[in-house]
Amino acid sequence: MSTDREKAKLERDMAVPEVDLRDGASGIATWAQTDGENLHPAALEILGEARRLSEKLEDKTVTSIVIGKDAEKHAQTLIEHGADRVYVISDDRLLEYRTLPYVRAIVDAIREIKPEIMIYTASAIGRDLAPRCAARLHVGLSADCTQLDIGMYVNRKKGQRFMHAFKMMRPSFGESKLATIIGPWNYPQSSTVRPGVFAKLQPDSSRTGEVVKFEPKWVEEDWIQEVVEVQKGGSRVELEKADIIISGGKDLGREGFEMLQELVDAIRANGQVAELGASRAAVNAGLISSDHQVGQTGKTVRPEIYFAIGISGAVQHLMGMQNSKKVVAINIDPNAKIFQVADYGIVDDYKNVVPELIKQVKNGFTFELDK
Amino acid sequence: MSLKDLNIVVLLKQVPVPKAMKTKADGMMDRSGKSMINPYCNAALEEALKLREKVGGVITVVSMGPPNAKQSLIEAMRKGADKSILVSDRLLAGSDTWATALALSSTIKKYLPDTDIIFAGLQTIDGDTAHVGPQVAEHLGFQQVTYVDKIELEGENLKVRRFVEGGWETFITPIPVMLSIHTAANTPRGPSLGAALRTSEDNITVYSVEQIGLTKEEVGVAGSPTIVSRVLNVVIDRPPVELFNEGSATERVGKLLEAVNRKEESS
Ligand SMILES: Cc1cc2nc3c(=O)[nH]c(=O)nc-3n(C[C@H](O)[C@H](O)[C@H](O)COP(=O)(O)OP(=O)(O)OC[C@H]3O[C@@H](n4cnc5c(N)ncnc54)[C@H](O)[C@@H]3O)c2cc1C
Repeated sequence: MSTDREKAKLERDMAVPEVDLRDGASGIATWAQTDGENLHPAALEILGEARRLSEKLEDKTVTSIVIGKDAEKHAQTLIEHGADRVYVISDDRLLEYRTLPYVRAIVDAIREIKPEIMIYTASAIGRDLAPRCAARLHVGLSADCTQLDIGMYVNRKKGQRFMHAFKMMRPSFGESKLATIIGPWNYPQSSTVRPGVFAKLQPDSSRTGEVVKFEPKWVEEDWIQEVVEVQKGGSRVELEKADIIISGGKDLGREGFEMLQELVDAIRANGQVAELGASRAAVNAGLISSDHQVGQTGKTVRPEIYFAIGISGAVQHLMGMQNSKKVVAINIDPNAKIFQVADYGIVDDYKNVVPELIKQVKNGFTFELDK
Repeated sequence: MSLKDLNIVVLLKQVPVPKAMKTKADGMMDRSGKSMINPYCNAALEEALKLREKVGGVITVVSMGPPNAKQSLIEAMRKGADKSILVSDRLLAGSDTWATALALSSTIKKYLPDTDIIFAGLQTIDGDTAHVGPQVAEHLGFQQVTYVDKIELEGENLKVRRFVEGGWETFITPIPVMLSIHTAANTPRGPSLGAALRTSEDNITVYSVEQIGLTKEEVGVAGSPTIVSRVLNVVIDRPPVELFNEGSATERVGKLLEAVNRKEESS
């Protein structure tokens, strides 16, 4: 687009009257997920992103809401990772997650904080909590976002120009497209974001912040559900923690996945942290369990090295691994889309390549990781 | 006391088959191609059928969508659902999850006020938000449990297991309750001959926005607090791939691994 046209567009946009419906709502609030006792890694990731976004707002205050048993113990960590203020909601009954007590806690806190933006984690718990909070607050919610921004939004039809609209971006389906969702008519503008997508800040122990002990107005009925059993350790697959991920696609079959497992074991034998990943097609084909799935409906990972072996590179898969430091692709098809995101590759049948990889790793090859 | 003769609602969405999924220029899903029952809703229907086998009752499938969603409702009834409601109206186009949940909950309030249990799919494969179940529950003041993969009877309550990070939690929940079902919960059945013979399009009631008691300001784009403001092609901004296709497998893999270990400022 020529700069003249851009300038003309900007002039037309600026001629649309500015509106501001925030009505005093200001700053950003985030939900810091705990498992009742410990912080979820995403709590700090969201905080990092909120801190970066706050630069684009007049009120740069970032408030983190933390709920759990003895939740006050997290306040300092949250402040060191970017919170200006921590709302602590602590109660012994909050050891296990239950929807209604949490919804009351978040909704009451938001009504007091009055943020213009609210960010939740799109975890199994966040995706239970956030929609119900949004419904109670009569605000919109954008799900599973992978990019966030704040900026001008012009709606010519309505004749409205917002200068600080929250732009919530998420992949759309079936194609390589990213949809931007906005809703500057209701506050707080709210979204859930994928765990593993955003980077947390380096902790800064000199940061200071305010700690507010907050008491939601719970009613007896909020606690009516009873947690009778908690089973931990449903999955020992820790894709998010692996430095090296070896992922396979559906055409590898059982034999291929056995080979990949052998490669993973060989890397582990050298003392490195490796894990087996997979495309959804491989999961659907029953080659591997779903906790290994990488992608839009699986996990988002950012390992040091990601091997995509016999994976075509569908956008839903790329969404889950494109932030990996280095990507290696092995595919029989030279035109496979995965080669567009890969740094290194071999065009060949995996059967010719993987055994050789296993051999060289077993011979002592270790990956250099810059951490 | 134990549960008996329940009024069960299954929320069901018809979605495009994955291969036919396309976004239109306005960011909305193109729904003109081949379609199917959303797999999560299919799992929800299966849980409803299993529960009815135990306690008896009536299963009503409630869907919002274009007129051709009737084919999915017929499929649901051929598997054993008793009747269906389709909320269908041009005014609903562009509804976000908030407006969708409002339309569905208004329908249940007005036409199925004695509902005991709502089964919903955890999420849909075209929108993937997981919003609608919890939002319907909020509008109706129901209890909710999402990510459910196991349901048992427990006196006048239900005992349900839900997936959480790193494990499961099992709840005792009273009714009325909304349960959103994970596809891991079951393998949905196919149609049964008996149910198929009973199924008729007459068992589908179609309601307009006005009939469910809402106005055009409350649904569609007008009633949605969020809109899609733009759709961009995803650009991949990585440098071109370095390929190792010359020589024996040993040589190629050797060079590849060497390159992976090479120090680079940015890759
Ligand atoms: C709503 C939605 C959500 C989705 N979420 C995800 C998600 O989270 N994660 C995900 O991965 N997918 C997801 N998908 C599916 C995605 O669109 C693709 O279908 C899937 O990623 C393809 O998996 P694949 O690469 O294994 O299979 P294919 O696309 O079939 O590719 C197989 C590849 O293997 C190569 N190959 C075949 N034989 C060999 C051989 N002998 N040696 C080397 N290479 C070989 C082929 O050249 C090809 O590139 C989603 C889809 C939808 C609609």
